[in-house]
Formats: sequence, C-alpha cells, structure tokens
Amino acid sequence: MKPALSIIFFTVSAGAGLGLLALITLVGLVAPASLPPHALWRGALLGLALVAAGLAASVLHLANPRQAWRSFVRVRTSWLSREAVAAAALFVVGAGYVLLVAEGYRGALRVLLALATCILAWVVQVCTAMIYASLKPIRQWRTRWTPANYLLLGHWSGALLLCALAGAYAQPRAAAFLTLATILGFAALAAKLGYWQAIGGVAHAPTLERAIGVAEGVRGPGPVSVAHARLLDTGHSHGTFLTNEFGFRVAQRHARVLRGAALALGFGLPLAWLVTGDTRWQPALAAAACCIIGLLIERWLFFAEAKHTVRLYHGDPRT
Amino acid sequence: MKLGLLIDLDTCVGCHACAIACKEWNASSKVSGALSDYEPFGAEPSGVWFNRVRHYEVGDYPASKTINFPLSCMHCADADCVTVCPTGASYRRADGIVLVDQDKCMGCNLCAWACPYGSRELDEVSGTMKKCTLCVDRIYDELLAPEDRQPACVLACPTHARLFGDFDDPDSEVARVSAERGGFGLMPELGYAPVNRYLPPRQAPPVLGEDDARALLERGLASLASPVIRR
Repeated sequence: MKPALSIIFFTVSAGAGLGLLALITLVGLVAPASLPPHALWRGALLGLALVAAGLAASVLHLANPRQAWRSFVRVRTSWLSREAVAAAALFVVGAGYVLLVAEGYRGALRVLLALATCILAWVVQVCTAMIYASLKPIRQWRTRWTPANYLLLGHWSGALLLCALAGAYAQPRAAAFLTLATILGFAALAAKLGYWQAIGGVAHAPTLERAIGVAEGVRGPGPVSVAHARLLDTGHSHGTFLTNEFGFRVAQRHARVLRGAALALGFGLPLAWLVTGDTRWQPALAAAACCIIGLLIERWLFFAEAKHTVRLYHGDPRT
Repeated sequence: MKLGLLIDLDTCVGCHACAIACKEWNASSKVSGALSDYEPFGAEPSGVWFNRVRHYEVGDYPASKTINFPLSCMHCADADCVTVCPTGASYRRADGIVLVDQDKCMGCNLCAWACPYGSRELDEVSGTMKKCTLCVDRIYDELLAPEDRQPACVLACPTHARLFGDFDDPDSEVARVSAERGGFGLMPELGYAPVNRYLPPRQAPPVLGEDDARALLERGLASLASPVIRR
C-alpha cells in the first residue's frame, strides 16, 4: 500500500494523544493525588490537541473534503464512520473534562466525564485499527495484532508524554509514571514483534493462480493441468490509480534497516532512558519525541509492507 | 435479482474492445460522471477505466496457455466496498448493481482498499470514486432497441465472450451457460459473493512431444509404404 504521509501522521499523532487522554483521565480517577489539577487539564488538553492535529492531517487525505461531513452517517457498518462519530464525541466530552478540572470542580460530573473521555479514547483507537483490520484483501492488516498494536503503541507514546508532564508538575511522585511507561513500553514492543512475526509467514497468502481462478489447473480435462500462472501484460502502458495506490514496493533490505530504526527510536532509546530512572521532564519529553519519530517509521512500514490482492492481477505471485 | 456478466476465458482474444467501448459509453455517463484522462496525448497517458484486460500465461511450455482476462466490478452480493463507505455514497441496488453516488463521495479511497479485484478507481479531477455501472443507463433505456439494452462491453465484444443477465434466474442465458460450463467467481474464499462468472478455457488438443512426432511419422511412412511393398 502507498504510505500516505497524511494518514501516517494522523495515526501516530492521534494515537499518542488518545493514549495520553486515556491514561491521564484514568490517573485522575484512580490516583487523583498523584497529579495536580493543572497537570491534569494541561495533559488532557495536549491529548486533545494531538488528536485534532491528526484529524486535520487526515482530511488532507480526502480527494473531495467538501463531503467529509457526510462521514458520520454510516455508523452501522463503517469503522471509518464510527471513528468519526467517536472522535467528535471525544472532543465534546474531553473539552468538558478540561474545563471542569481547570475550574477546580470536584463533583460526580467530573468523574463521569473522566470515565467517558477514557472510554471514548479507547473506542476511537479501536475504530482506527479496525478500519485496517477489517480489510479482507490485505492479509498483513487483517489480523488481531493490528488492534493490539494500535492500542498499545498509542498508550506507550502517550505514557511517555505523561512522564514528561509528571516530571514537570508532580516531581516527588514522578517515578511511578516511569514504571507505568516501562510496562506499557514492553507490552507495545511485544505487540510489534508479534505483528511482524505474524505477517512474515506466506503459508496462507493468496496467490496469482487463486486470483484468476486457475489454482486447481485450468478446469476440465486437458494438457494444461499444472497450475502455474504468470503475467504477460498488464494492458496499460503507464501508471494507473491501481498501481499508484497498491503497487508500492519496499526492498527487503530497506525494510530490515527501517525495522531496526523503528525498534531503536520507538522502543530502545526511550526504554533505556526509563531504566535510568531520571524523572526530569526534559529527557522525558526527548524520549517521547524520539518514540514518536520511531513510530512514524513503524507506521510507514505498516503501510509499505501491506500487500493488497490487486497486486496479484499485476503479476505478484503472492501477497 | 443479481445482474452481472458472464465472461468466457476460452473465446476472449484480449482485444480490449470491451474496455474501449466501456470508456466510450461511460465518458458521457450521467451516472458515473466523466472518466477523466490525465495527459491523454502526453508521454505517460493515464486515466480512469472501469474495465481492464490483462494477459496471463498458465502452465509451463509446451503445456501452456495464454489467458486474456477482462476484469471489472463483480457486483458482489456481499460487497465490503458498500459497508466500509462512511458517507453512504456506495450502495447496492435491488437489482444487484453496485453504484457510487457521485454527490456524496468524499474520496477517502477506503472502498478501493476493500475491493479485492481493483474494480474501483479514484478520479483525480472530480475527487470521487468511479466504478462500473453495468451500463445502468443503457440496460433500462426503453428508447433503445431491446437487443441494445445491454452493457456497452457486451455489445462490443467481437467473439461474443461476454454475456449479460440475471444470475438469480435459473432460466436466464447467463445462469444456464455458467452451470453448463462450470462458471466460477473470483476469490470466493474472501466471502464477497461476487456475481460475475468466468467460463474456464476449454480442453485444447494435446501438444506433441518429440517421441509422439517420431511415432506419428513412422506410422505415416509405414502406411504409405505398405501398399507398395505388398504389390
């Protein structure tokens, strides 16, 4: 699949924002003493800003954005529609939460809004992931690892931002946030490695022979029984929408280098900082930025390594 | 009703007439809007097509065969391109035709990602998704002669490799021929229930190996020689 920069930025930025929102509202509910109110609302606002930046980038992906308002209407079947509705609701609820905390309000409504913000942040993340995981023609996306990745990677990058907030505003208690981030970091790393392991096998990959219906040999008795097909001609002389959108190739050795970079920047360096136990906010922010750069590379690979079945018709032996 | 196409891979000669006729008819269609071309007279011409013909070789020489493979929308009974659409622009009619409402499409590409066959193409000029309409503006047009109320690709095919009809009606020509000749749908394992059917290539005469040819030659010479020798 073509790695569209707008969608890569959207999923990484919104993922970090949603992870931060879910974690900070949970912290506000479960351990209200661990973060002062001004850290709570600023953190939630940062989360909402990251989601908003992501959504703004995602609109750039649309070829006809004038009709984007219609994307709220098909919640019954479309994960993209569900994502749009959940994100819109998240902004209303999240903004309410930020206002209440900033005003120092401490009633049942604040608890309710915190819960709703947290749950909606999870729902949006699951919807985003399911947009990809529900696509049957793309084997590399249609796996349970996809939602696991989106949820854990979002929470991991969000947790690093939370560490920076705690480092700045909740100094004596910031070490607990480092522990939380370390746990999420290893969980996210496991999910990413599991995903790469899962898409590596080609045993169940669809083949060109299956795509053109000659997998059991050309039907009927005849000399052509060995089912082995190859492309002679695509019928077009230059690129088409299909080759532009689905024909993207990343060389094996480049993919290996990029996976290494994603692992080092997205997980290795931030985890190494977490192990040192340094609770100052500056290195925490640097670790979060490093992680997000790593996740941008990771997300680029998520698209670049995904192979749509259309490629079979253009001559790929399997996807 | 499940309107669709039956495509004979045995008789298709890969001439692209169906693709050209499709482009010609639909370029002025009110249903799909124009099919834009990009740099049609430039060095790298490209554009939107509803129907593309590709060519494959199946089997290994000498037991190999060229298959010309036209591919357009399958008008799937269980079409994910319709369910993933967030705006409701993609829809399936009661007669089985899957269409895109050009006034509602926001050009997010998700339906094209959901289609395993590559039957949908984004028009960069209008910013909307375009696809085969099964010539819905021909097949119901009562101003046309009854024999002309068929998709443009079907009418254009010089080898009659394309048939149009209702696969839900067991007495229809498409359903009958498909049943007789083992018509198959593409990638049924994905669960889209594609309606269009392909007829497999028929049995070809055996290709002679070197030994077969020598045996035939010897037999032929013997039959020529025997009357002479007998005399």
